[in-house]
Amino acid sequence: MKEKSEGFKPFYYLLFTAITLAVMVLSICAGSVNIPLKDTLTAVVNAILNLPIEEGAQSIIAFVRLPRVLCVALVGAALSLCGGAMQGLLRNPLADGSTLGVSSGASLGAVIAIAFGLYIPRLEALGTMGMAMLFAFLSLVIILSITYRLDYSLSTNTIILIGVIFNMFANSIISLVVAFAGERIKSIMFWTMGSLSGSSYSNALTLLIALLVFGAAILCCSRELNAFAIGEDNARHIGVNVKRIKMIVLISVSALIGVCVSIGGTIGFVGLVIPHMTRMVTGPNHKRLLPASIFTGAAFLMLADLIGRVLLKPLELPIGVVTSFIGSIAFIYIFYSSRKAR
Amino acid sequence: MLEVENLTVNINSITIVDDVSFSLEQRQWLMIVGPNGAGKSTIVNAISQGIPYSGSVSYCGSDVARLKPSRLAKSIGVLTQKHHVGYSFTVEEVVKLGRYAYSSGIFSTTDDEDIEKINKAIEITGLEPFRKQSVLTLSGGELQRTFLAQIFAQDPKLLILDEPTNHLDLVYQKQMFELIREWVKNTNRAVISVVHDLSLAKAYGTDALLLNKGKVISFGSISEVLTEEHLRLVYSMDVYSWMQDMFSQWMNK
Amino acid sequence: MNHLKKTNHQASRESFRDSILSPKRPSAILALVLMLFMLTVIVGGCTQSGDEARQQIIVESLDEAAGQAEAGTQGQAGGGKAAGMADRAADNNDSSEAVREPATTIELTDMMGREIKLDAPAERIVVLAASDCEILYAIGAGETLVGRGEYCDYPEEIFNVPSVQSGSETNIEQIIALQPQVVVMSIMSQTKEQVAALESAGIKVVAMNAQDIESVYTAIELLGKVVGRSAEASILINDMKTAFTDISTKAVNASASASETETIYFEVSPLEYGIWTAGSDTFMNELAAMLGMKNAFEDIQGWGEISQEQVIERDPDHIVTIAMYFGEGKTPVEEIMGREGWQGIKAIKNKMVLNVDSNEISRPGPRLTKALSAIYEFIYEEN
Repeated sequence: MKEKSEGFKPFYYLLFTAITLAVMVLSICAGSVNIPLKDTLTAVVNAILNLPIEEGAQSIIAFVRLPRVLCVALVGAALSLCGGAMQGLLRNPLADGSTLGVSSGASLGAVIAIAFGLYIPRLEALGTMGMAMLFAFLSLVIILSITYRLDYSLSTNTIILIGVIFNMFANSIISLVVAFAGERIKSIMFWTMGSLSGSSYSNALTLLIALLVFGAAILCCSRELNAFAIGEDNARHIGVNVKRIKMIVLISVSALIGVCVSIGGTIGFVGLVIPHMTRMVTGPNHKRLLPASIFTGAAFLMLADLIGRVLLKPLELPIGVVTSFIGSIAFIYIFYSSRKAR
Repeated sequence: MLEVENLTVNINSITIVDDVSFSLEQRQWLMIVGPNGAGKSTIVNAISQGIPYSGSVSYCGSDVARLKPSRLAKSIGVLTQKHHVGYSFTVEEVVKLGRYAYSSGIFSTTDDEDIEKINKAIEITGLEPFRKQSVLTLSGGELQRTFLAQIFAQDPKLLILDEPTNHLDLVYQKQMFELIREWVKNTNRAVISVVHDLSLAKAYGTDALLLNKGKVISFGSISEVLTEEHLRLVYSMDVYSWMQDMFSQWMNK
Repeated sequence: MNHLKKTNHQASRESFRDSILSPKRPSAILALVLMLFMLTVIVGGCTQSGDEARQQIIVESLDEAAGQAEAGTQGQAGGGKAAGMADRAADNNDSSEAVREPATTIELTDMMGREIKLDAPAERIVVLAASDCEILYAIGAGETLVGRGEYCDYPEEIFNVPSVQSGSETNIEQIIALQPQVVVMSIMSQTKEQVAALESAGIKVVAMNAQDIESVYTAIELLGKVVGRSAEASILINDMKTAFTDISTKAVNASASASETETIYFEVSPLEYGIWTAGSDTFMNELAAMLGMKNAFEDIQGWGEISQEQVIERDPDHIVTIAMYFGEGKTPVEEIMGREGWQGIKAIKNKMVLNVDSNEISRPGPRLTKALSAIYEFIYEEN
C-alpha cells in the first residue's frame, strides 16, 4: 500500500538508458559507408579520449558520424520533451512545436537574422539562435493569447486551427523576407529546410547545454504539468502558481525549439508522436512521461536518421521526410482515437 | 471567516456582479441562488481569484488577492461542475494532486500525513474500487466524486461548490450533499455553494444569498431569504405555490 | 404543407449551424481543420523539410541559374581561348547582315518534337531561360530580344531588355504585352498550360530541353533558325566543339601519365544545407569525362543529397564547388578545406579544391567551355 514515489524508478531509468544506448551504438555502427567494428570502436574511444584519429574510416566515425548521431539524439530528446510539456500544459494531445507553428516562428526569426545580417562577430551562430528563440517565444505568446481569447477551454480544434493559420502566416512572412533579401535569397531558402548532416561537436555541446538548463526547468515542473493536464482551473484551485509555471514552461520550450531549429531546421512531428507513444507505456503522469520521452525521443530520431542515411545509400533522405511520414500517419491516428474517446 | 465587500465584476464593460457584499462564519453553508445570469458563478470565480474584480475579498482578515497560491489552496477549495481531463490519469493520481499545496520544493515526496489524507478522502467518497482506474472510464458521478475526494485531500477551510451536482442523478446528488454536510460539521469549516435547485438549497443550506442581475436581493439565514415574496420578485412567478403544487403530486399517491 | 416545408428547412439549417458551431459534434469544422492541416503538410513541405522542394530549388537554380550573383566575373579570368570565343562569334555576325537568309517560310521542330512554322526570321523574341539568352547573344541576335526571363543576367547588355517573370510565376499577360513573335522557353521550368496560353494568343512557342552538351548544340542550331542566323549558329557550335576537343585532348594527354583515372567530386550545395552532388546525366559528369577524369558520384542519377561519409570514403582527387560567395565569412573553398574529418581526402591534402561560377557550369549554353577551361587550368596548369 505504501507507495512513496510516483516518479521514474531507477529500473526504468536503466531500461530506457539501455535502449537509447543500444540505438546509439547501432546508429554509430551502421551508415552510408560500411566500416569495420574494430575501426569504429577505436575511433569512438580515441574521439572520447581526445587522441589522434586516423584518416579514412576512423575519421568518418569520429568527425562525421559520431557528432551527427549525438546532435540527432539531443535534438530528438529536446523536441520530444518540448512536445510532452506542451501537451500537458495545454491539455491537448496534438500540441507540439510543429503543429502550433512555433517551429515556423523560430524559422522566421532565424531567416530575419540571416537576411538582415544580425550576427555577433565571431559568434555567427548566436544571432540566428537568439532570434530563433525570441521568435519561438513570441509565436507561442501570440498563438496562445489568440487561442485563449477565442476559446478558453483550449479545445483541440481551436489550437490546431490557430496553429495551421499561424504556420501559413509565418511562412508567408518568410517568403516576404526572402523576396526582400536580394542576393542572400539562396542561403535563406536552403536554411529554412535545415540539415543535421553537417553537425559538429560544438553543435552537440550547444544542444547539450540547452537541454540541461531548459530540460531541467521543464522536468522540475512535472507535478504542475500533471495539474495542468487535468485542467488549468483545477491546477489553480489546488494551489499551482499558474502564471509562473506557464511562463517557465513556455520560455523553456521556446528556447529548446529555437536552438533545435537554428541547428537542424524544422523537424516535424517528433514532439507530437513520441510523447504520445511514450504515454501509452508510462501513463500520463509527467513525472514518468517526461524523463521517458527524453530517451524515446532520442532513440526515435536516431532511428529516423539511420533510415535516412542507409535506405537509399549513397543518397541521403532528409530526416524530416522520415519523421513527417511516420508523424502524419500517427497524427491522423491520434486525432481519430481522441475523437472516438469522447 | 470570509468577508466580501463591494464586489463588482465587469466583463467586456458589462457589469455582471454589481456591488455585492456578504460574509460567512464557521460551520455555515451559504447557498447562492438566483435565476440564470444573476452572476452566481461569477461571484465564486472572483472569490477564488479566477477573474479580475474590484472591491475586496478577505479571508480571516487577510486580502485573498495577496495570498500565495499555495496558501490560498489551503484556505479555499473549489469544486466546479465540469472537468475536461485530457489524459488517462488514475483516480489516485488526481486525488493525490490535492496535496500539492502542502508539498514544498521540487523533490518533495508524499509524506505519511499526505497518504493518510489521500486514503481517507478516497475511502469516504467510496472510490476505493476505482483507485487505480483511469478517470476517463468513470461516469459523470464517479468523476465528480473523484474531484470531491481531491478537495477533501486538499483540506481547505472554505469549500466553494459551483453547481457541483448539476448533471448528476439523484443518488449522486444526495451522496454528495450528505458528504459535504458531514464535512462542514467540523469547526473551522464553511461552504459556499451555487445551486439552481431551491429545494436542495433549503434542505442543506444554513444561509442564503439571493441574486438577480448581479445585485443582492436578500442575504441572511436560509428561511429569511427564501421567502415567497423574494422569490416572486426574482423569478417573476409564484415559485412557492408551484413548488407546493409539485410536491403535492407525490403526497397524493 | 408550406408550413411543413419551412420547418424542415429551418431544421436543416439549424442542424447545419449546429454541426458547425456545436463543440460536441464539430464534424464539419474537424474535416476542414484536418484538410487545412494536410494541405500545409503538403504545401508547406518546404519548411517541414521537404526533399522535393529542395530538389526543385536546386534544379531550378541550376537550370535558370541562381540569380543576381556576379555573373561570369570569375570565369572570365581563366577563360583563355574559350572565353573570347563567344565574343568572336558575335563580332563575325554583326558585320554579316547580308548572310541573313531570304524571307521564306522557316520550318523547324523544337526540342519537344513540335513542328513550328515561321513566315520569316523572328525579330521580336522573348526568352525565358538564361542559357537561351546567352546563345542568342553569342550568335549576334541579341537585338531581337524584346523580353527576358528575370534570371537572365548575361551578357551585361541584357539588362537593357525588359525582364518578365518566369518559371512557376510566369506572367502570360506580361509576355503578350511585349508583342513577341516567338517565345523561347525551357520545358524544365515552364508548363504545357503556359505554352497553350501563349499559342492561343497567336505567339509561336519554341520549347527547349537541353540536358546534355549534344543537345546544347541542337538548341543553338534551333535558335539560329528562329532568328535566321544559321551560319552564325554553326560557327558557334564549331567553336564550342573545337574548344572542348582542345581542352579534352590536352587533359587526356596530361592525365595519361597518372597510374589510374583520377576522380572529381562536384559539390552543388554546401554542407550547411546538406551536401548535394551531380551524378550521371549532368553537364558536370560530361565535363569530368572531357577532363579525362571520373565523376566520383557517377553511380547517382542526376542530382542527389549525399552524406559526408560517402565523400570521405570515395576520397576524390579533386573537388569542384559551385557555391556562391557573398563576401563575408569563409569562402566556399576555405570552408571545404576546413571541414572536420575531411583532412584525409586527397583533394584537401593537395589543395585541389576549386570554386567555379555556378552559372557557367550549370547553364546549357556557350559558357560551358569557360567552366571546362577554368577547371582544366586549375588542375593541370596552376600546379
